Amino acid sequence: MQSGLKLRGLLVMTLLPALLLYSFFVIVPIFWSSYYGFFSWSGLGEATYIGFQNYIEVIQDPVFWRAFKNNLIIVAASVLGQVPIALGLALILRKSSLFQRFVRSAVFLPMVISTVVVGLIWGYIFDQEFGIVNNLLTAVGLEEWTRAWLADPSVNMYAVSVPIIWNYIGPYLIIFIAAIQNMPAEIEEAALLDGATGWRKLFYIILPNMWGTIKVVIILCISGSLKAFDQVFVMTGGGPAQSTEILATYMYNNTFMVYRYGFGSAISTLIIILSLILIGISQILMRKKD
Amino acid sequence: MITQTQTYKKKSSLDFSLKAGLFKTIKVLFLTLFSLLMIYPLYWLITSAFKTNEEIFASPYSFPTSVAWENFTRAWEVANLGQAMINSSIVSVSATALTVFLGALTAYVLSRFTFKLKGFLVVLFLLGMLIPVHSTLVPLFTLMNSVGLLDSYWALILPYTAFELPIAIFLTVAYMSAVPKELEEAAVIDGSGYWGIFFKIMLPLSVPALSTVAILAFLRYWNEFVFALVFINDSALKTLPLSLAVFSDGFSTDYALTMAAMTIAVIPTIIMYVLFQEQIMKGMVAGAVKG
Repeated sequence: MQSGLKLRGLLVMTLLPALLLYSFFVIVPIFWSSYYGFFSWSGLGEATYIGFQNYIEVIQDPVFWRAFKNNLIIVAASVLGQVPIALGLALILRKSSLFQRFVRSAVFLPMVISTVVVGLIWGYIFDQEFGIVNNLLTAVGLEEWTRAWLADPSVNMYAVSVPIIWNYIGPYLIIFIAAIQNMPAEIEEAALLDGATGWRKLFYIILPNMWGTIKVVIILCISGSLKAFDQVFVMTGGGPAQSTEILATYMYNNTFMVYRYGFGSAISTLIIILSLILIGISQILMRKKD
Repeated sequence: MITQTQTYKKKSSLDFSLKAGLFKTIKVLFLTLFSLLMIYPLYWLITSAFKTNEEIFASPYSFPTSVAWENFTRAWEVANLGQAMINSSIVSVSATALTVFLGALTAYVLSRFTFKLKGFLVVLFLLGMLIPVHSTLVPLFTLMNSVGLLDSYWALILPYTAFELPIAIFLTVAYMSAVPKELEEAAVIDGSGYWGIFFKIMLPLSVPALSTVAILAFLRYWNEFVFALVFINDSALKTLPLSLAVFSDGFSTDYALTMAAMTIAVIPTIIMYVLFQEQIMKGMVAGAVKG
């Protein structure tokens, strides 16, 4: 009917626009930034080749490693916060009654809210004078616990993690509910015959059967929380005194605020490498536990 | 003796149902509280948007006693939200249209044809979902600077589409692969070429998948912040999230104004959520799992 040549022409023609767009904006930048990391460039005039100097400067900067540690705090907070909350809710949200569907919608709601708005609202919630957190603490008589949550370096990384946890529970909840609903009915029946009820059933039957899903969610949670930027940027911008700096804000502040594009490229490359290493490690660890 | 065991049994079942009832009450109570916790920040935002600054300070958590509409008109003017709304709409709608079209076209080829580089292409598109978006900011900034793309609608439309393509493609491929071969054959007999098959069969049959792609893409573009922050400098081109970010330092003490501006930005996404909830949930979960 249609000749092979025509088919080939069609394939090229249909794939090319998407492929070009995707390569130019997603793939090329990765190589472009590792290349530009070898240059000193202010955005204007000539870029000068300086070898590994940028990369060495980043690696020797203690703020870079503090930012990396802060990123790990967000990852840990997300895994320890989002996964148990989503799992716990999924275990009690197994029916699709109107009330339970409402709970599900409420938990998912933050997913559609602009991250800038999320950052601003939580900035107010943590506000020292008029924030809800301090007001609630005062109301229950814990006045000595009140503080400037986003400014106090001993707590602000944890405070910053709370909105991120709040923001992304929804998808994990839906994944867990689907996993529970897809669990074969025989397993529950067998459990009933064996007399396993309540907590025993939960720990010996349901959770082991969900381990595969839990692992997937943990990996998703790690790669997802590595992408956090907007909320932190809006709430603190990485401050005060770089105490809430994460890799992305470190990159932003060292590039666009001071016009060091070569240096910023080197940071970007290191962010990609560190992210891929973390995702790789999490996948290996999760596989081993089988 | 017999009556004794009977009462004993009765008591235990009563005990049991009491316990179950108590458990259920605790469960409902807990779920209600948790839902309120999830919704509260948003509820607080929207109720505060209708208060005056004095009322926000005097009673920050109460329901507004009167409606301060002037917050909205003031926010609209001060933050130039009208222009931001137009910019956000232009960028989001164009990028969504481009995403749906390119995604559908690529998904058609990937799902209905076999060719040498197909496996490679699939891996390439999957790879894109692993890359943290912010790590491409600097190279994209310099790349777009060198071709003169910065400070234009294209500076957002093109990268938005590029980064959304993997999800769009994979959501649509899953759908198109399920279209029976016979439909294609019938179309060929009717004299349709590949384009005919694409426009007359594949596109109409994939509408459910494509509408999910469109809704997700639109929400993401409407809310997107980092690219806009770095690629747009011209205040006439600022999108909504960018205009709101001004409030994080400039006007942050004018609470009523800030709350009203945020409410204006959030309302469209909430309306979309109410209308397309199931699609949004399923689509976001499918997108996350693929990534």
